[in-house]
Amino acid sequence: MAELSTLARPYAKAAFEFAVEAKDLQGWAKSLATAAAVTQYSAVVKLLGSPSSTAALQAATLIDICGDALSAAGQNFVVILSENRRLTLLPQISYQFESMKANRDKAIDVEVTSAQTLDTAQQQMLTEALSKKLERKVNMQVSLDKSLLGGAVIRAGDTVIDGSIRGRLTKLAELLNS
Amino acid sequence: MQQLNPSEISEIIKSRIDNLDVSSEAQNEGTIVSVSDGIIRIHGLADVMYGEMIEFDGGVYGMALNLERDSVGAVVLGDYQSLAEGQKARCTGRVLEVPVGPELEGRVVDALGNPIDGKGPVNAALTDALEKVAPGVIERQSVDQPVQIGLKAVDAMVPIGRGQRELIIGDRQIGKTAIAVDAIINQKGSGIKCVYVAIGQKAASVAAVVRKLEEHGAMGHTIVVAATAADPAAMQYLAPFAGCSMGEYYRDRGQDALIIYDDLTKQAWAYRQISLLLKRPPGREAYPGDVFYLHSRLLERAARVNAAYVEKFTGGEVKGRTGSLTALPVIETQAGDVSAFVPTNVISITDGQIFLEADMFNAGVRPAMNAGISVSRVGGAAQTKIIKKLSGGIRTALAQYRELAAFSQFASDLDEATKAQLDHGERVTELMKQKQYSPQSIAEMGVMIFAADQGFLRGVEVNKIGDFESALLSYMKAEHGDLMDRINQSGDYNDEIAAGFKAALEKFIATQTW
Repeated sequence: MAELSTLARPYAKAAFEFAVEAKDLQGWAKSLATAAAVTQYSAVVKLLGSPSSTAALQAATLIDICGDALSAAGQNFVVILSENRRLTLLPQISYQFESMKANRDKAIDVEVTSAQTLDTAQQQMLTEALSKKLERKVNMQVSLDKSLLGGAVIRAGDTVIDGSIRGRLTKLAELLNS
Repeated sequence: MQQLNPSEISEIIKSRIDNLDVSSEAQNEGTIVSVSDGIIRIHGLADVMYGEMIEFDGGVYGMALNLERDSVGAVVLGDYQSLAEGQKARCTGRVLEVPVGPELEGRVVDALGNPIDGKGPVNAALTDALEKVAPGVIERQSVDQPVQIGLKAVDAMVPIGRGQRELIIGDRQIGKTAIAVDAIINQKGSGIKCVYVAIGQKAASVAAVVRKLEEHGAMGHTIVVAATAADPAAMQYLAPFAGCSMGEYYRDRGQDALIIYDDLTKQAWAYRQISLLLKRPPGREAYPGDVFYLHSRLLERAARVNAAYVEKFTGGEVKGRTGSLTALPVIETQAGDVSAFVPTNVISITDGQIFLEADMFNAGVRPAMNAGISVSRVGGAAQTKIIKKLSGGIRTALAQYRELAAFSQFASDLDEATKAQLDHGERVTELMKQKQYSPQSIAEMGVMIFAADQGFLRGVEVNKIGDFESALLSYMKAEHGDLMDRINQSGDYNDEIAAGFKAALEKFIATQTW
């Protein structure tokens, strides 16, 4: 995982900078996502993994499947990747592209897992509080997990704010066992 | 029936529930991507700091050692069998700390300060970081007070001062630990606290040392930090730093402490293992590039600090007292090879070395110290006056003896002067032998060296020197106790003491009772 992201970084960075210059961040993000999704089809995985398939064949196949989703520059990008035998990195590249884009937009994806369903007012309040704390535009995704017992867990990138009853109980258990 | 733990007392549980911090602080979290040989790779943890403690599931802790772009390499402190890929790892914002203070005296603890002697919890009031920067130039004072080791050979020829770093080096099984243990035993009543750090040793050896210390009443002023061969490499790497922090407690508060690292070779091995597993590039003998720094930063913390530092540290509570931490690191050589990587490193860091030789050990010279290449670079200034005055001749006598002994193997008849020198050398060599666990006081050493220096041993057969010594010492104790006490207290040497020694020796020789 760590190694893959290291390999993917220069490609993601190049694609991102190109997209910024071309003022087509949205389009690039979409094409990369499509291409990444395509590389995860079982048939495509087989093709990419096969030692007998040439770089040109892999690139052509991928471009074919993606069809209109890839611009001319996007197609070139796929060719470069195939020449370096890095097509399997596409999901990573797409992920890193997204996070670079979010960083540029000063936005952040936040996952909120709560024990009870949050109503709109609560969600609104959370979003506001989080945007203030993280100094970012917050894209919130809400999910439900009854096993938290109460409260909520907020996850923004590496940062985790555990305000759940389960978290507190775990803490108490550790303290009592230490 | 299930056993009840000491931590399950209602009062304790109650206070713990009371103290629970329920605030939900933002925490940095990552995911374990690989677990191998005690090394954990973590994805995420973007805010982690070098050397920070990392918390894993189940109350296991680790320490971040490699900060890379996409991952963090950490060592696990403890059992890593329960960890698995995909589990979460959290930053704690703390660096490693160990308990310090007088509560630890008489205890055996592991590298993290947890008691392993079955005597219940250590209720130390203070904790301190493992890694600290050594005192700077302004805060130091030169070494000018002695640490008495209690061995004639060491105290006479390689004197050690408070705040000095003196290396004990030699092959396996020739008495390195014996010198260290004697040094600890001899600190009883001297006010010097001792820390014995056992690294990578057999648990049985550690237990034997602890038992010996207890037998000789030396455990009361001693802390034993043990990272045995069965402990993870991370613990063996950290144990010396933990011991050092415990010793620094005394240094910083205007007291004196002695720390023994037994031995740093094994610490270097443990560090090499960790470094290689963390994929740091190997260098000479596969040690990482910073193995010199590993030992130099540790030994630099052994120092004598001036009164101003102590006063500042204690906030004016302790005034006009200097503090010191004396270090006796131990290094094990392979077949006497001091030019290997780690031995040369540590020799160059320390202020001298006690070199033990297998040949001498096998010839029955114990402690098997080679007087020719053992040196103390700063201890001379700290040596007790009486020992300094009397021991001048010992070194030269032994050096001349070694030279002549090699030479005389070829010559059949020797002139009188040479013969006399050989005789004298033989007797001094014999005199330097000393039984384990029987350290001597300054006065006892003084009278024996005086006897050798003034030729009183001439009439004693070489194989009777040991008997002569014990008889003389008990005679001196019985008949001249006040003189001995006076010397032990002041450490002085003058004509009156010389005359006292001379009269006593003449009287004792006349009795011929040995």
